[in-house]
Amino acid sequence: MSVPDLKPMGVNWVGLGTIVRRDVQRMLRVPIQVFIAPWSSALLFIFVFGYVLGGTMRTIGGHKYIEFVMPGVLMMNIITAAFLQSSSAIYFSRFMRFVEEMLVAPLSYLEMVVGSLTTVVVRATVTGLGILILGLGFCATTIESWPLFVFWIVAVSIIFGLAGILVGLWSKSFEQLNMPVVFFLTPLSMLGGSFFTMKMLPDWLHWMLWANPFFYFINGIRGAMIGVDEAPQGLSIALTLLMIAALGGLVWRLFSRGYGLRE
Amino acid sequence: MATPALKVTNLRKVYRRGNVAVEDLSLTVEEGDFFGFLGPNGAGKSTTIHCVTGIANPTSGTIEIFGLDAVKNYREARRLVGLCPQEFNVDPFAKPADIVSWAGGYFGMGAAELKSRVNYLMEQFELTPHLKKTFRELSGGLKRRVVLARALVHDPKLIILDEPTAGVDVELRRVLWNYLTEINQDGRTILLTSHYLEEVERLCRDIAIVARGRIVRQGTKDEMAGTPGSLEHAYLVATGAEADHVAGQ
Repeated sequence: MSVPDLKPMGVNWVGLGTIVRRDVQRMLRVPIQVFIAPWSSALLFIFVFGYVLGGTMRTIGGHKYIEFVMPGVLMMNIITAAFLQSSSAIYFSRFMRFVEEMLVAPLSYLEMVVGSLTTVVVRATVTGLGILILGLGFCATTIESWPLFVFWIVAVSIIFGLAGILVGLWSKSFEQLNMPVVFFLTPLSMLGGSFFTMKMLPDWLHWMLWANPFFYFINGIRGAMIGVDEAPQGLSIALTLLMIAALGGLVWRLFSRGYGLRE
Repeated sequence: MATPALKVTNLRKVYRRGNVAVEDLSLTVEEGDFFGFLGPNGAGKSTTIHCVTGIANPTSGTIEIFGLDAVKNYREARRLVGLCPQEFNVDPFAKPADIVSWAGGYFGMGAAELKSRVNYLMEQFELTPHLKKTFRELSGGLKRRVVLARALVHDPKLIILDEPTAGVDVELRRVLWNYLTEINQDGRTILLTSHYLEEVERLCRDIAIVARGRIVRQGTKDEMAGTPGSLEHAYLVATGAEADHVAGQ
């Protein structure tokens, strides 16, 4: 038997597509957890802030309170969906050792990361669009700028997809895997201006928003949806792109060292 | 001279806490060979295989697969290798055809070729009646068949089998032996680790015995079995177990 074709490989598009196909198939095994839960949660927010409390709250920037809150609710669900998708996928594949299927294959680190992030963006986009449709259906939101709306969904899901990969590589137990949700994601998104404006805070507490990266994401998508933003869109976009570059570089470095993947 | 299917030179693997799994291992497997890689538990067989296939990073030394550096040209080199690992490293909730199909996809196989290959392997390993079951619902023997089918999906030129018949019943073991003999006769190179010496004697032409991270004996099966006793005696002497046994008595 002769040694076969040994030409250098280009991008392994089929391999990359297979990573996405596999992750989407795995995601669809648990549709209630993946899609129904965030949509139900958004419906509850619409009911509570739109109909129960909405009438008692003053308008903000000419918008009803539910319209002000909806972008934050949407963003919180995108963040959670993106983080849980990548962190659980990578942790579970390490825990059950089927990550080795990819390690023995002719896949580059970039293809593995891009494949994983593509599924993250798919999940976050479907989650976000579902919440948007609910919001539009109940007259709880609008869209000022579609390009900005798409940018914020994709950019934020990439950031939290990368953060999820880092946590999935680092975690050695399910408890460690859940720690960032409890100690970072939930508190920072609650304190990032989802439910209040900067003006509602005393002056000495304004730093709490400026120092919270979630504020820029929520502010950005709120600008895209109802045209109300407290920080300049340019600043929010620049900080977001910077975070993508920093987290992407870190994930790249860890993958190329085989951290958490190779023995 | 033909390029060897696998050439490992001065391989050393030290794990994080200083545990030396492979000390200084050199090994050559010629193309078309059926090579037995023997040794006691913890001798360094699986670690060597992990370094060859990319599951572990070698600390030092070189690995060439059909002349390709397994680290520098890892993408090209890995296309030529199929691994059937000792443990079931499989998504337990996936179905057999998906597991095999995903593996083929990672190796870049096109849809039509992949479908036909997966169907062939499902038939070959008698997995067709079990296509609707998830991996965790399969018996041990069926799980082993799925993992073997996954290793073969991209029709690799070098097949590495790490204890493929562990925990497998006699019937399946014979089916596997016949199939492996057939694909070896077709020109595939096979590297087999096993604790069943009769299996190695039956299948392999060349044998290396590893102990404490080094090759302690290497030769043809006839040379090994030609020593007083049998392959088992050669194995026990080479690994030091015979001396321990005598001292114990």
